Amino acid sequence: MTAPALRLTQLHKSFDKPVIAGLDLTVAAGQLYALLGPNGAGKTTTLRMAVGLTEPDSGGIEIYGIDAIRKPLAAKAITAWLPDEPMLYDKLTPSEYLGFVAGLWKIPRSVAAPEAERLLRWLELWDVRGTRCEGFSRGMKQKVALAGAMIHDPRLLILDEPLTGLDAAMARSVKDALRAAVDQGKTVIVTTHILEVAERLADRIGIIAGGKLLAEGTLDELRGGAGDATLEDTFIRLTSQP
Amino acid sequence: MIGVLMRVLPPGSFGWLTLHELRLAMASRSKKRFGQIVGWVMLLAWIAGGIFIATLLQDVPITPTPMLLTGVAAVSIALFSFMTTQGMLGSQRTLYEAGDLDLLFSAPIPPRSIMRAKLVGIAAMVMLSFTILLLPLALPVAILGHPQLFGIPALLLALALTAACFGLALTLLLARIAGPRAARTVGQIVAALSGGAIFLLSQLWNTGDRNTRGGVALLFQEMMDSGFGAHGIGSLPGKAAFGDPWAVTALLAGSILLFLFTTAAMQSWFLSGYRAGGMKLGRTKRARGTIDRNFSATLFGAIYAKEWRLMARDPALAFQIVLRIVYLAPILFLALRPGKSLPLAPSLAFTSVLIAGQVVSSLVWLAVSAEDTPDLLKVAPVAKHELDRAKLSAAMAMAAPLALLMPIGIGFATIPGAIATLAITVAAGWMTGLIEVTFAKPAPRSTFRSRRGGGSFIRGIIQFAITIVMGGIAALLIFFLDPASRTGLPDSWRVDSNPYASIQRH
Repeated sequence: MTAPALRLTQLHKSFDKPVIAGLDLTVAAGQLYALLGPNGAGKTTTLRMAVGLTEPDSGGIEIYGIDAIRKPLAAKAITAWLPDEPMLYDKLTPSEYLGFVAGLWKIPRSVAAPEAERLLRWLELWDVRGTRCEGFSRGMKQKVALAGAMIHDPRLLILDEPLTGLDAAMARSVKDALRAAVDQGKTVIVTTHILEVAERLADRIGIIAGGKLLAEGTLDELRGGAGDATLEDTFIRLTSQP
Repeated sequence: MIGVLMRVLPPGSFGWLTLHELRLAMASRSKKRFGQIVGWVMLLAWIAGGIFIATLLQDVPITPTPMLLTGVAAVSIALFSFMTTQGMLGSQRTLYEAGDLDLLFSAPIPPRSIMRAKLVGIAAMVMLSFTILLLPLALPVAILGHPQLFGIPALLLALALTAACFGLALTLLLARIAGPRAARTVGQIVAALSGGAIFLLSQLWNTGDRNTRGGVALLFQEMMDSGFGAHGIGSLPGKAAFGDPWAVTALLAGSILLFLFTTAAMQSWFLSGYRAGGMKLGRTKRARGTIDRNFSATLFGAIYAKEWRLMARDPALAFQIVLRIVYLAPILFLALRPGKSLPLAPSLAFTSVLIAGQVVSSLVWLAVSAEDTPDLLKVAPVAKHELDRAKLSAAMAMAAPLALLMPIGIGFATIPGAIATLAITVAAGWMTGLIEVTFAKPAPRSTFRSRRGGGSFIRGIIQFAITIVMGGIAALLIFFLDPASRTGLPDSWRVDSNPYASIQRH
């Protein structure tokens, strides 16, 4: 039996007040999983803990069966993180950026260079591979960051609001890229405020509020339980409960 | 005070906008409590010094002699050139960095009012730093018996306003000819160079020999003999500084006219400069060939390539590093001073360790602290110590050519000394870098322009102390181990630093 792509068990995190309170979440491999929640629900904190950027107060994090707290480097080696603000160096070109990221993941040049070329072509960045990122639109930067996230062929892609600020065409292109990644057998976890994206894209959806998972399932499972007409109805019903 | 005045004036008027700009100029000072306390203490000490000088000069008549008029004219030219570079910096900040022009131009306010208010803001920023430097000395003297010196603030105002106009005009001209990127880069480099030039000139005077000073004195004498600054229009700054009402009026009226002319004549350039600032800065390069060369076989290679590229593509940052060397150059002047030079090899060893240590710490600061994407490094499957070591090694590799330079020079005098210097230079660089790696916190790369914006004052002092101690060890080691190295600069190496000396002798 394949280990789940991500398993969070009894995860706790407090800053001034508890942000994540005993969160249990399991994402099966090979799925596109959408994590929804109102502002301040703890979505980003959860994902930042999963990728090792924020240390949990307690609880367990497993990525494809690897204990991400005890063996963070092994977990990071198969994970990619794409925050809502692309992690880019404005003064580097896309190909130089990919070269740097490949160096961080210690991918041999013979593997990284052709993979970078494939990604740049696939994301329609090949023609601007020698142009510094500083002049790029937000969507272009997001695509460069996406290429950087995929250069090491991660098994798990975690993306925080990947469609924020993108125009329709660019959003479509990113959504297609994510779907293609899942089709290739990878697991993708996204947070989004756009419920339509979750409805149309996600295999499973989790709704989180107050640092706890309120509901989880396929779109039909979530809507069907209480007879909601749309995911929006379900979301509002669940998150407005005291 | 400014807030109260803003409540009185009609919102959106030129006066109201100008006060807003002045408020921004005042708010740009250091916000750190420690920095503010140090600033106030230094200002009070400066004022106390001014009062002391004023009491000494209370009964001494100060009249505008030809020598003083020439002196004021010469100082005014120097001040004006530095103010113009400040004006260029202020203009590019206004056009490309402040980010408030979108808001201002979207408001129902005439563009000319906005431009005028912005120009006053730039002039205020330019004047502020020189005011803090000069007025604490000049005003006490004026108050205690020499009221004619109240002309100095008027002179400063006229110079600042004129320099702001020139700075804006130059920036807009550069942006028009070569684009916004060139305007920014040139402005930053010119400002860095002018800062370094002030320091170097002052140090040349302080550490120079009689010939050097004699050369400057002779130059001044020639200026006086030609009547520079004592007659005609060139005498206006001097006369204004000594309170001549006609000169004050002429300078202020001239600068205000220039201000009005600049805002009228350059309005369309200002608008196009602002629009260009919002456009793509990326230099579109025709992409060709493969991308293999961008991929390194090792982590060190990837870090080194990235740091080198980031620095090479940000000339302003590169010049900040160069300035660190410039600020340490006086130590070299001491070693190379003809006639009374210190022992050459030990002095070079000391300088080598000091400069290399400081440069390495700057480069490591850039590599570690000035990290625009710290999260990318945290999510990478690389242990922090491994990453730190790679960054430290990359910084040291970048500083290596500089670190090798002086040991090679020392090698001509003493080979063991050169080896010892190199070893201690590497050790000092490693230690200062290690401190940076251990304690530095990530901050946006752009903050380095404000001189270690994300750095720590204490950390800088500790690193400086380490390089001083290590440099001292290197110097003493050479001094005691190799007696032959105790000689100063060979006579054959000496250069007559006064180009006027031969004229003087004839």
